[in-house]
Parts: sequence; C-alpha cells; structure tokens
Amino acid sequence: MTSWQIVVLVVAVYLVANLVIGLLPGSRSTDTVAGYVAGDREFGTLVMYFVTGASVFSAFAFLGGPGWAFSRGAAAFYILGYGVLGMAPYFALGPWAARLGRKHGYVTQGAMLAHRFQNRWVGFTAGVISVIAIIPYVALQMRGAGIVLEQVTDGHVPLPLGAALTYGIVLIYVWRSGVMGIGWTNVFQGVLMIGIAWAFGLYIPYKLYGGIGPMFEQIAAAQPAMLTAPGLDAAGNPWTPVAYSSAVLVSSIGLMMWPHLFMKAFAAKDDATIRRTIMLFPTFQLFLLPLFLVGFAGILYSSSPVDPDAIMPHIMLTVGLPPIVVGIFCAGALAASMSTGDALIHGAASIAVTDVYSATRGDTLSQHDQRRLIRWLAIAVGVVAYALALPSGLSLVGMLLGAYGAIVQLAPPVYAAFLWRRATATGVIAGLLVGISTVGLLILMPEWKPFGLHEGLVGLAANIITLAVVSMTSRPPARDHISDWMATSRNEA
Amino acid sequence: MKRSAVWFAAVYFATMAVAITFPGIRPFNTIQPYIFGIPFVFAWVLAWVGGSLVVFLFLYRAYHK
Repeated sequence: MTSWQIVVLVVAVYLVANLVIGLLPGSRSTDTVAGYVAGDREFGTLVMYFVTGASVFSAFAFLGGPGWAFSRGAAAFYILGYGVLGMAPYFALGPWAARLGRKHGYVTQGAMLAHRFQNRWVGFTAGVISVIAIIPYVALQMRGAGIVLEQVTDGHVPLPLGAALTYGIVLIYVWRSGVMGIGWTNVFQGVLMIGIAWAFGLYIPYKLYGGIGPMFEQIAAAQPAMLTAPGLDAAGNPWTPVAYSSAVLVSSIGLMMWPHLFMKAFAAKDDATIRRTIMLFPTFQLFLLPLFLVGFAGILYSSSPVDPDAIMPHIMLTVGLPPIVVGIFCAGALAASMSTGDALIHGAASIAVTDVYSATRGDTLSQHDQRRLIRWLAIAVGVVAYALALPSGLSLVGMLLGAYGAIVQLAPPVYAAFLWRRATATGVIAGLLVGISTVGLLILMPEWKPFGLHEGLVGLAANIITLAVVSMTSRPPARDHISDWMATSRNEA
Repeated sequence: MKRSAVWFAAVYFATMAVAITFPGIRPFNTIQPYIFGIPFVFAWVLAWVGGSLVVFLFLYRAYHK
C-alpha cells in the first residue's frame, strides 16, 4: 500500500466511526421540533462541554490558528483572548434563556426574541441575518475539509470529492439524529481535536528546534516583530493596535450570538449544566496553545506552503511522519471542520423553519411536518454551501469576516430583551437594519471606517443608538408581558 | 455570596478585556522574560485564560454546591 492509501484508510475508519456514532442516537429523541432541534432539553455536561468547545473551534481555528501564528505572529493572540471573554456573559444569559425556553417552548434565539417583543418580524429579521451569515461559514468548513484531504493524499482525493464525502456523512447523521447526532459526534470529534492538537503541538517544536524555548529564542533573533502584539497584517506589514483590539472586542461580543451556539442553551438539561460547561470551557480553549506552537514552528521551517493556512498539514507531510500518523492528524482536522459544520447546518435549517418560515406562514405545520421540513432544509443548506465552497476565486474568509460583523448585530436585541424593559419591537428591527446596513456599507467602502475600527463595531454603535432612540419614541410594550418574561428568566430554580 | 462572586467575575473579565487589548497590553508586550520558554506577552494572554478557569469555578460554586 502506498502512503496516501494508508492515509485514506485511516480517514475512512474515522468517517465510518462518525457515521455510527451519529446514527445511533437517532431514535432516542421524540418526534417533535424540540426533540430534533434541542434534544428534548436533556443534554448533560459531557455532551454540552464538547458540543460547545467543538462547535466554537472550527477548521478556522485548527488550520487558521496555526496559519495566523505562522504568517502574522502575535496577531494570533487575539483568537486566544476573545474565547473566554465571549463565553463569560453566557453564564448569566444561558440559564435565563433556558428557563424561558422550557416554559415557552423556544428552540431558537429568534423565537425567543419574537415572543419577548411580541412581534414575529423580530424573529424573522434575526432569522434571515443568521441564515445568511451561517452559509459562508459552512462553505468555509467544507473547503477546509476538502483542502486537507487533497493535501494529505497528494491530490488523489480532490477538494470537491473530499468535501462531498465528509459533508455527505454530516448530512446523513444530521438528517437522522438531529442535535442528538451532533452531540455525540462532537464528543468524539472534540476528543480527537484536543488530543491531536496537544500531541503534535508539543512534538513538533521538540523535533524541529529541540524545545519550545529554543524555538522562540530563534524566532526572537530572526523576526522579533512576530512575537509581540499586534503582530503583522495579512500582507506582512505591522498590524495596527486599533485593528487588533477591535477584533478582540467584536469577536467577544459576537461569539455567543452565533445561533448554533446560543441555541444550545435550549438543549441543556438544567442551569447547572450550562454553568458547568462555561466553567470548563477554558480547558478546551487552551488547545489553541499547541496549535499556535505548530504555527510558530513554521516561521523558520525550511519550506513554506503557498497558502499560510496550510502550514499545519504542510509540516505534517514534510517532517517525515509515518502515513498512519498523518492520517490521524487529518482525522483531527476533519473533526474540527465537521464538529462546527454540523451544528451550523442544523442551526440554519432550524432557524429557517421556526423563525423565517413560521413568521410568513403562521404556525400551520404540525410538529412532525416542521421536523421534516427542517431535515430537507438541512440538505438544502449543505448543497448551497457546497456550491459556494468549490470556486476558489470567492473570498470565503472575506465573507466570514462580514458574517461576524452581521452576527454581532444580534447582541443589542438579545441584551435589550433581558436588560431593558422599554425596548420595543420597532426599535429592535430598526436597530438591526441600520446595524446590518452599516456593516455592509463599510465592507464595500473600507476607507470609510473611522480610525480603522472593525466594521462590526461601528455597526454595533449605530444599531444601539437606533434601538434606543426608536424604542423611546415608539409605544411602550405591554407591562404585564415584560414583567412575566423577566421574572421567568431570573427565576433561579 | 452570589452577589460578590458575580462582582468579582465582572471585575476580572473587565480587567482582562483591558489587559489583553491596547493600550492595556503595552506594559506586558515584551518577549522577555520567557515563561517556560514562551514569550512573555504570549504567556500573559494565556495566564488570563487560565485564570478565568478559577474565576468560573468560584462563580459556579456560588450558585451550585
């Protein structure tokens, strides 16, 4: 057997294991929307820990993290910094949302906002923004999986085939098992990601430089600008402190607004499970350390890949590892892609049905039919994302940066829902539209960005001001409903 | 107990947000001294992440036994 065939064999074993783990829990949830989307609200700490960690860290972290450390040096520290900051507010928000979800039956953020503001168009607007932001994110995950497979097999498994194979399996288990399949596969994928990151991250600096200390001393002597913040920008020039800092801020605020993450509050068994998950999250987050070490190891490495994000597979393939180990590494990278991609596809389909479709057509569908529609839409999301993933001319990373700017616009409505009784539906919708338009405009006209701030942050400011002004000038919401809603959210069980 | 835990956590994360971005990061933005072989500013950000584990633990204990 040649070495690429051994790699393919290892990857095949990994994919089959995923399929089995993903299909097994299929019959364990009820035939309802809550069963398919929120696992009947029965997720325990083990599953929640891995779902959260593995969904947060995607192929973008697993390949892009080392890619940033390799090409932009200390700029990568921003990725390390924002995760925990983004997770912290969820210690309060998560249980608040979960209690309301149990009482009122929500499975998505949009449904929660629509009910709070007594207006289905709030859910509709949030839903449309979410779906549009999620699709390029899925496409990026597919592309990541395809690129890794193509590289480790010397092109014998081309990108389109690799992406189709891995995501075909994702779609099968998402179809059959919904969030239960995502939960259990993410446990498996999460263990692989963490284990492989630590193993390679500690091994590579020793193998190439004789240790972590000697490696950094050599980089410090050759390229000291790589080792202090804010590092370099994509073109290799010094990055600006404003860009670095606003990237940390916008990512922190936006992180838990991603619907596929936020809605996991509705899947948790109880408040303690959500809080325990957040408490343990930093242990998952620290796996960025070994990933960055691999990236830093690439700076003075004898050869470099064309695309900086390929630094990790590049080192794995050229450092003289046995093919079986390369295969295991590849499984880890695929796990990072799939564990985020599955939650995104499932989230987008659930939102499209419960928030967007229901807002326009009313609640005319039975639970069974809604569940079936979500399944079909999951396939549709997969197909659209696949079509976006194939042409290499499209800048997916650019689309993803735009997506973050869009998702962060959901923060003012979510915080206003819990903290500001006077906020109104008109205010929220106006704020969202102004925020999104600002982000879109600044993406098209980057030279208009004030002080080089991230466009998401500028959009956020416009969004908050609009929400506040329009809410104050529109009719106040019904007092009883708000009091009841707030009381439910704060009711510590 | 809960109140003070929440305040403590809020202060920690607000300080962290300042300490790992500009201009707060400036005094710590150096390569030396190395901490276990890792450049100082890298270790600085890592330490804030590691510290959050302790803060979350404290916060969790305030709510649940």
